[in-house]
Amino acid sequence: SERKPREPQIPRSWIKEAFRHFAKMPVTTDAYRIVEKCCERYFQQLSDDLEAYTHHAGRKTVEAADLEVLMRRQGLVTDKTSLNVLIERHFPLQYRKLLIPVAVSGNKVISSS
Amino acid sequence: MAAAAGEEQQLLAQRLKAAVHYTVGCLCEEVEEDKDVQFSKQIIAAISDITFRQCEIFAKDLEMFARHAKRTTITTEDVKLLARRSNSLLKYITQKSEELASSNMEQKEKKKKKSSTAKGERIPGEQEAAVTENEDSNMT
Repeated sequence: SERKPREPQIPRSWIKEAFRHFAKMPVTTDAYRIVEKCCERYFQQLSDDLEAYTHHAGRKTVEAADLEVLMRRQGLVTDKTSLNVLIERHFPLQYRKLLIPVAVSGNKVISSS
Repeated sequence: MAAAAGEEQQLLAQRLKAAVHYTVGCLCEEVEEDKDVQFSKQIIAAISDITFRQCEIFAKDLEMFARHAKRTTITTEDVKLLARRSNSLLKYITQKSEELASSNMEQKEKKKKKSSTAKGERIPGEQEAAVTENEDSNMT
């Protein structure tokens, strides 16, 4: 059988689920297709930006600091909301543990609901 | 003491705002002649207010970029990073910074001929001047 190797992408079902979670209203199939396209564009832009920020710091490896700078530019991380607050708000516990070990060992677990 | 310092800050902000307003007025006049349109006083005031606030954002971002590269001095590289969002703007800024760099090189060559001492102290000052000029062109 001849299967074309597909471009790496986020599973469609995952995008659909995440979008539905935030939209809280019916979304047509066409709209989902556009959301998928936007996700692709988003990742292209993201990698370009991260590359620029990493090179700017004189590195070749993308580090957490680069992502934080990017998220600050996007207006997601601000003086009032730090990256850790966003991690606690949006990540499931298992990933939160990896990123902020202190938060869990202090028995201060904030539920993401 | 703190109240006096706050008042001084406010005065400084007012002076800065007035300076921005004046420059915006001059630039708008140029555009008026160029495009054959008229700007009302309110529009000019609005543009100068936007410019002033945008400077706040620019300053914070530039500071962050410099700190990210483990520098305390903002350089043209940071300004270029700031202009990355718009392709045409990035092109324009890059071209301007190249022009600046070449003219800086010429000046340095001249200075080298005059005296080879005390050039280490001059470089940060020159780079700072480069940044302010780039930001001005960003405003237009």
